[in-house]
Amino acid sequence: MSASVTADSHAAHAHHGDDHGHGKPGIMHWIWNTDHKVIAMQFLVSAVFFLLIGGAMAVAMRWQLGFPGHPIPVLGHLLPSGIVNDEGAIMPSGYNVLVTMHGTILVFFVAMPLLIGVFGNFLIPLKIGAGDMAFPALNELSYWLFALSGVIMMASFWVPGGAPGTGWTGYAPLSSVAAYNQTPMGQTLWCVALFVNGLSSLTGAVNYITTVITMRAPGMTMFRMPLPVWAIFLTAILLILAIPVLSAAAALIIFDLNLGTSFYKPQGGGQPLLWQHLFWFFGHPEVYILILPAMGLTSEILSVNSRKPVFGYKAMVWAMIAIGFLGFIVWGHHMYVSGMNLTLSAAFSVSTMVIAVPSAIKTFNWMGTIWRGSIHYTVPMAFAVAFVSMFVIGGLSGIFMASTPVDLFVHHTYFIVAHFHYVLFGGSMFAIFSAIYFWFPKMTGRMFDNTLGWIHFWMTFVFFNLTFFPMHNLGLGGMMRRIADPTVYDCLRQLQPLNVVCTIGAIGLGLATIPFVVNLVMSLRKAPDAPANPWNSTTLEWTLSHPIQHGNFPVTPTVYHGPYEYSVPGLQKDFLPQNEKAPAHVTLEAH
Amino acid sequence: MREFSFRRPFTRILSGAFLLLPVLAASSLMAEQRSGNVYLLPPCVTTVGEQIDDLIKIIFWLCAAIFVLTQVTYVYYLIKYRRRPGVPAHYSHGNNTLEIIWTTAPTLVFLALAIYGNRIWENIHRPAPENSLVIDVSSYQFGWDMRYPGISGKLAPMDVRKIGPENRFGTDPENPLTAQDVVAPELVIPVGRPVHLLLHARDVIHSFYVPEFRLYQDCVPGRTIAWVWFQATRTGEFQLACNQLCGTGHYNMKAPIRVVTEEEFQKWLTPRQQKNAGPAQTAPSAPSSPQAAAKAATLTASPAKNTL
Repeated sequence: MSASVTADSHAAHAHHGDDHGHGKPGIMHWIWNTDHKVIAMQFLVSAVFFLLIGGAMAVAMRWQLGFPGHPIPVLGHLLPSGIVNDEGAIMPSGYNVLVTMHGTILVFFVAMPLLIGVFGNFLIPLKIGAGDMAFPALNELSYWLFALSGVIMMASFWVPGGAPGTGWTGYAPLSSVAAYNQTPMGQTLWCVALFVNGLSSLTGAVNYITTVITMRAPGMTMFRMPLPVWAIFLTAILLILAIPVLSAAAALIIFDLNLGTSFYKPQGGGQPLLWQHLFWFFGHPEVYILILPAMGLTSEILSVNSRKPVFGYKAMVWAMIAIGFLGFIVWGHHMYVSGMNLTLSAAFSVSTMVIAVPSAIKTFNWMGTIWRGSIHYTVPMAFAVAFVSMFVIGGLSGIFMASTPVDLFVHHTYFIVAHFHYVLFGGSMFAIFSAIYFWFPKMTGRMFDNTLGWIHFWMTFVFFNLTFFPMHNLGLGGMMRRIADPTVYDCLRQLQPLNVVCTIGAIGLGLATIPFVVNLVMSLRKAPDAPANPWNSTTLEWTLSHPIQHGNFPVTPTVYHGPYEYSVPGLQKDFLPQNEKAPAHVTLEAH
Repeated sequence: MREFSFRRPFTRILSGAFLLLPVLAASSLMAEQRSGNVYLLPPCVTTVGEQIDDLIKIIFWLCAAIFVLTQVTYVYYLIKYRRRPGVPAHYSHGNNTLEIIWTTAPTLVFLALAIYGNRIWENIHRPAPENSLVIDVSSYQFGWDMRYPGISGKLAPMDVRKIGPENRFGTDPENPLTAQDVVAPELVIPVGRPVHLLLHARDVIHSFYVPEFRLYQDCVPGRTIAWVWFQATRTGEFQLACNQLCGTGHYNMKAPIRVVTEEEFQKWLTPRQQKNAGPAQTAPSAPSSPQAAAKAATLTASPAKNTL
């Protein structure tokens, strides 16, 4: 089968197109390249670029909420005139644009490409012992569709009317009627960008699924796959089922806005709630699309740095499968108070409570993984350890909103903002940082700077909590999300000190990116210095030394056992790579 | 690579970071009115709200217990099992008994919470009592109009399909009741009497949100949301907020709410009813059933048929 693809069979290909086999790779090497490792780097660079833009928008929003109406110092005038007024203070319409674009960019142009584009691309072939993805050209097409969608999304800032201000959820009929949103062109571009972005996700997902199913090395059974591969494989299945629904719903908005249809407009017989059902049928699996890969990556990093097998590997896999399945029957918990049938709300409340169970299983298994381990505190481990705690906070705060009567009060308040930032930043982003540090030596052949890494970790950890923890109280205090100025409400003026605290935290969190980016750039400028296997890890990618040629494995590896054989009694070293047979006197425990 | 050891101030910083947050929160709010509770909840002025607050407290203490138990164990493990020379990790792939326990226990707890929550949910949404005051709340970019029953005690019937720029409430201009309706820019409600709201939106989705009432409900264009009712427990002045992003002026889409005594309410409403009553009108015989009024108002927009 295709599993026989190795470096040799790719050698000819690599020579004529990509890097000419010698010397420094030219610019074309980085622009069009079918090597999954290069595509992962393309996604990484683009996503970090969008992270800086989307993050800056968040800091601008926090500035406005902490100090409403005050001009943003120094940077205020750099923002487009549709966002700020002449003094450099954010206008209400500009604030709505920031809300919308921050959410859209962080979800579709940062978290998804980082988790799926970067680590899906880089890790799947290397971890299953394949030479590349099943469809290398489709893979590169997926990147360029992503880049195109980013250009379309950013272009909306420069069209008449400017970028849309209808929230990343784009609720109709606000988004679907030009007279209501005043930004028909920007909104249309937003829909087109999501559509193209969806194509990118779909081409990627098809590729991942095919690769995992058909290209595993001999001996690499499904239940010997490392957990990141399982996680991204399941994520790809979710993408294929969820993304088309969003694409279709976005297309209907384009029709409503430009062709005079009334899918979402009641005056023409349409249904506003139709958009919400379609959007959240995509939107809730999307949440798990963003957290499943993070869980997979974290599981592996905790195991490697604790020198212990993942506790309950099979339970971890089944929990992810359960999350993937249940993720499709909980979308209504975004709509308890939307005007949907009340009994339906009650039913969704039950399924939502049930989906907390697999998450709880995973948390307990992570604790089981470090239990009686030999924990090595590295920068990636610090982020992974923090991930578990942050995810617990995000999971527990979800229980409040899963309960229908409580949601009647906290719906659309800062409580939900706190909740999903604990899941998506404290969860996904912490896992992403952890994974970037962990696989940086393999991706670039260079070790990152440890001191800068620790500075980045502590700043991120402290300022993240300083920014988002008080938001729980703001939400319970009754502060609405997506309002440009909380001080117009009497009952929220009392809470203003908390808003200032959040803003200080957000500025610190913004500054925390500096050591991260500096670290990436500085480390890339030095000569390759990383050993092949700096973490003494067992999975296949660590058997290759830098630079990994196009085609990856000179000889297709054979896999003899599961992925996490650490501290096996009777062995000299404390890890047993997947491609090494256990000696006769050693028995491996079934996992 | 440099080792990171717990002998350095790792734990102190960690615990410090966690302790810092409540301290900051508490100190910054010491002088404020909300010091009566740890959550900074605004005062609660409805009977429904009291049930919700009780549930929040149950979930809060449950989550706090889970959080403290798991995190204390976790941090204890993180310190105890840090790398030490000569102490290898234990080789174990898991434990099925433990897996079964920590799958079953959360399932039972979460299901119990879902069932308990839904009982309160059902209780909140049982039909409005007979003596409710029915008010039509109409939202638009970017404000609120309230419509009270006129001198006859009945709201004029409306049809959501007739709502438009010239017909704010979708009422029938031919119907004599329409002229009697009392329209106000503020929501004035009597304390102690059930208030039944009919929520409408003229353009985009808005939401009726009053934190002190513990109440959020979207107003959906083309629909009448007829299941919201509540009973205020004390008088006061509050603000109605739109809590669904609805456009440029969304942040400032608010309306005053006054909860007043029944006497003051009558003093406010009666002159307005009489002004609209017209010369030929006699005094009302008896306040008619609010249920009937609600039904009349939702003639063509029965929520049961209209839910998606």
